Amino acid sequence: MSGAPAIVILSLLQLLLLLASAPLISGIIAKTKARFQHRQGAGILQPYFDLAKLLRKEVLVSPVASWVFRSTPYLVFASTLVIALLVPTVVVPVPLDWVGDIITVIYLFALGRFFVALAGLDTGSAFGGLGASREMSIASIIEPAMMLAIFTAAVTAGSTNLSVIVATLSSTPASMLNPAHLLAFSGLFIVTMAETGRVPVDNPDTHLELTMIHEAMILEYSGRYLAFIEWSSQMKLAIFLALLSNMFFPLGMATTLAPWALCVGCAAFFAKVIVLAAIVAVVESTNAKLRLFRVPELLMVAFILSLLALILYFIVGA
Amino acid sequence: MSAILFALLLGLPVTGTLLCAVFHTRRVLETITVICAGLTFLSALWLVTTVTQSGALNPGQGWLYADGLSAYVAAIVTGSALVVALYSTGYLRRQVRRRHVDGGQLWLYYLLLNAFLFTMMVVLLSNNLGVLWIGSEATTLATAFLVAFYERESSIEAAWKYVIICSVGIALALFGIILTYFSALHVVPASGNALNWSSLMLVAGGLDPGVLKLAFIFVLVGFGTKAGLAPMHTWKPDAYGEAPAPISALMAAGLVNVALYSLIRFYILVNKAVGGSFAPTLFIIFGLVSMGVAVPFILIQRDFKRLLAYSSVEHVGIIVFALGLGTPLAYFGALLHLLNNAIAKTLLFLTASNVRMAYNSKIMRKVTGAIKVIPVSATFLIAGVFAITGWPPFGVFVSEFAIVSAGFAGGNVVPTVFFIGFIAAIFAGFIYYTSRMVFGEPHPGVKGGDAVTLSLLLLGLLLTALLVLGVFVPPPLQQCIETALTVLKG
Amino acid sequence: MDPTNLQTVGLLIDILAAAILVTAFLVVSSRSLVFYIRLFALQSFFLGAVALLVVLGYGETHILIAAVLTIAIKAIAIPVVLSRVIERIHVRKEVDFSINIPASLLLCGGMVILADSVAHSILGAQRADAPAVSRVLSVSIAMMLIGLFIMTTRKKAITQIVGLLTMENGVFLSGLSITYGMPLIVEVGIFFDILVAVLILGVFIFRINKTFESISIDSLRGLRE
Repeated sequence: MSGAPAIVILSLLQLLLLLASAPLISGIIAKTKARFQHRQGAGILQPYFDLAKLLRKEVLVSPVASWVFRSTPYLVFASTLVIALLVPTVVVPVPLDWVGDIITVIYLFALGRFFVALAGLDTGSAFGGLGASREMSIASIIEPAMMLAIFTAAVTAGSTNLSVIVATLSSTPASMLNPAHLLAFSGLFIVTMAETGRVPVDNPDTHLELTMIHEAMILEYSGRYLAFIEWSSQMKLAIFLALLSNMFFPLGMATTLAPWALCVGCAAFFAKVIVLAAIVAVVESTNAKLRLFRVPELLMVAFILSLLALILYFIVGA
Repeated sequence: MSAILFALLLGLPVTGTLLCAVFHTRRVLETITVICAGLTFLSALWLVTTVTQSGALNPGQGWLYADGLSAYVAAIVTGSALVVALYSTGYLRRQVRRRHVDGGQLWLYYLLLNAFLFTMMVVLLSNNLGVLWIGSEATTLATAFLVAFYERESSIEAAWKYVIICSVGIALALFGIILTYFSALHVVPASGNALNWSSLMLVAGGLDPGVLKLAFIFVLVGFGTKAGLAPMHTWKPDAYGEAPAPISALMAAGLVNVALYSLIRFYILVNKAVGGSFAPTLFIIFGLVSMGVAVPFILIQRDFKRLLAYSSVEHVGIIVFALGLGTPLAYFGALLHLLNNAIAKTLLFLTASNVRMAYNSKIMRKVTGAIKVIPVSATFLIAGVFAITGWPPFGVFVSEFAIVSAGFAGGNVVPTVFFIGFIAAIFAGFIYYTSRMVFGEPHPGVKGGDAVTLSLLLLGLLLTALLVLGVFVPPPLQQCIETALTVLKG
Repeated sequence: MDPTNLQTVGLLIDILAAAILVTAFLVVSSRSLVFYIRLFALQSFFLGAVALLVVLGYGETHILIAAVLTIAIKAIAIPVVLSRVIERIHVRKEVDFSINIPASLLLCGGMVILADSVAHSILGAQRADAPAVSRVLSVSIAMMLIGLFIMTTRKKAITQIVGLLTMENGVFLSGLSITYGMPLIVEVGIFFDILVAVLILGVFIFRINKTFESISIDSLRGLRE
């Protein structure tokens, strides 16, 4: 794929795709969870309406808040957009893969998290501080597990460049079922649940002091600030699902610019992401939220699964 | 002809078990057990003579096998079983009279005793290493409920530890056997034979030394656990202390020898395949460690049966050490020691049982002045202690002396010095406790009452045997040991 | 068996072996007795599946009975027995540890590496031709080590049984990987030994519970010296 125009168009398309589909994915998960609970639940398009409503609403800012509080939503949104440009979704190789590799992605997420935690502290409310401290302690355990899971995928491909990882894997389809890969996938899946604040690590629907983590940090946000932060969280989930599906099962991705290939790529992307979203919903519905001090145990399992993947990979070398 | 022998040696205990399952009256159970044990013992002696004259028996190149070593150990084990069976009659009658044991438990005892003997014979007579393993695990299972016989807190704890630790050890031994099988698969023509000891010995040169070394380590740990080699011996004091005394005696004399037999089989194989000093060095180390570990526990012991259990650990160490020395004289000492140890342990456990029943306590502090209360048993006790700690004119002295000579002759001076040191320390501990038990004044209120005459006669017989063995080794025995010796040399 | 089929079988065995290892790790990471037993049942089921694959893929029909027995006894019968035991004795269904979960998991990860080096030394030069065998052997040795670990660091009597059975599973798997199973009679004998051992230990648990009012190993400390 050559030519600056092609790159720009493809990147914009990818960005718009993720931007537009993220609320839908969250909606699907919420609907599935509702059905599990024998409720009708809101429609799958509800998040769009929520975002629209929030954008129209008035913003209330605590008098003690500083520029950190006001700029965080934009910072987080911006960093998430950058990540959205870097991850493989429909086409491989990713148009902008020379800008950043998987480590850049991890650090961009960390950047966003850092600022949200600061914003939580910035308002001077107890909930904010509580959420920030919990989030940071969990993050310190998530990071190693995530790194290891991703490194396993990178090691098998011999590079941390996302396009190379995807390309290497799609060239040898049989290695997708390699036990090392499956283990790394499981490890990264658990990390996804933790990083995006889903049950059993954090309940995204709760506002009880005892159980909030992510929600506590953003409790003070309203109006368009909240809209951007919510959207960023939804995109984060979508991006993680995209990473999970394409780093480990890169089936059906477009390798040329032919319209037919692009359509197939799109369809494949949606299919994989929706399947994963359904799995997320099932896992959320069938597990209870862990007590806070048990979360390290769960993440240690993820770490070990990735470690096992790495060990198995080195045992065989394939 | 060999088929008949095998049928007898295996079939008699099975018949005994089945008959015991059917009948429940005490007299019948006693008769069945004693007769089966007796006939098995006679068959074992017959086996010994056959093997000494005609060489190893291996009907149809199959899974049954008996050579000098098997026959020798089988004779020792069945002999101990017979003595224990005879003693058990008097023992259980006393227990029933004192209402410690009811009819159901009595039945279970005899049933499991026969089953125990059967499982031991399976190990001794199998050519196939897998079947050997099955028999070994089966011995643990057969004795599990025997150790827990009295259903005290401590008994259940002991039985639990026993089953768990021995099963863990044996699982590791199974892995070692699998590795052996693996190394043999490439070399032995028919895979069905790759687990047969006789076939393995034939192709020993072609087996992978690295794999076999690793296999031996697992097998050493595994069967060493069954034998009570340190540091896998921790179940022994508990199990021997809690089981009924005749069962402890059979475990110390029978089970130990069976486990050692399994170890020796692998030892011979590994020596032939790997050569050098790999296996012998391991044996010397484990042997000395066992003896060394036994010392402090003997010196601070409070319970006589546990004391004997640690003595068993020590003697297993002695035998293993002697096997590790590797010279024919050392092998001779080790083999002779199998017999001496068995007799002495049986004597001591059964005598301890008499003492315990007279004084109603296992704690040594509470037993004093036995010579006045139960003179016969007390004499046996002090004589037995002298025997087990290696004093002349008892048999144990002869075998230990042979081992020490072999040690010095072979240039293993330092280990042999340790060997002597440990034995001396253990003697000191034993004599201290036993003299306190035998001499002095008995506490008032001691019931007394020795065992029945039959039991005392048995014990006297054992003691006589030890005395005889202390003076000379009867030619038939000599021949028998030498046949076993040739097997050991590979 | 044509090569592609063999490759599929090999791949499936690979995945199942990894799944077996994961169940062992999940046991280490869990606190619930019921979960332990369910994981063990799953593990044995996978093991039976591996045995069946060996039968289908390599034509070693003598393991067919062993495979069926694995599923029947280890995946069904023994878990049922253990569940009944737990139901009858009304104990707290949580397990106490002497080493906490994250540390345990790390140690077990280390054990996998150790198991791998042992497997290498066993297979030596043959490792290159059959990477799958090496992997399965490593998994089996790791399971033996993890089973031993579970037995020594978890404080309930039932977990010691689970640990012991995990060890036995590991030994069976190692037999499958390097020798395609041992002769039939030996395998059957081993199974019955294990079944009887579990039954005996089950009875003991009842008695322990009766006398000690709990099945924590801490209460089995009466015998010293």
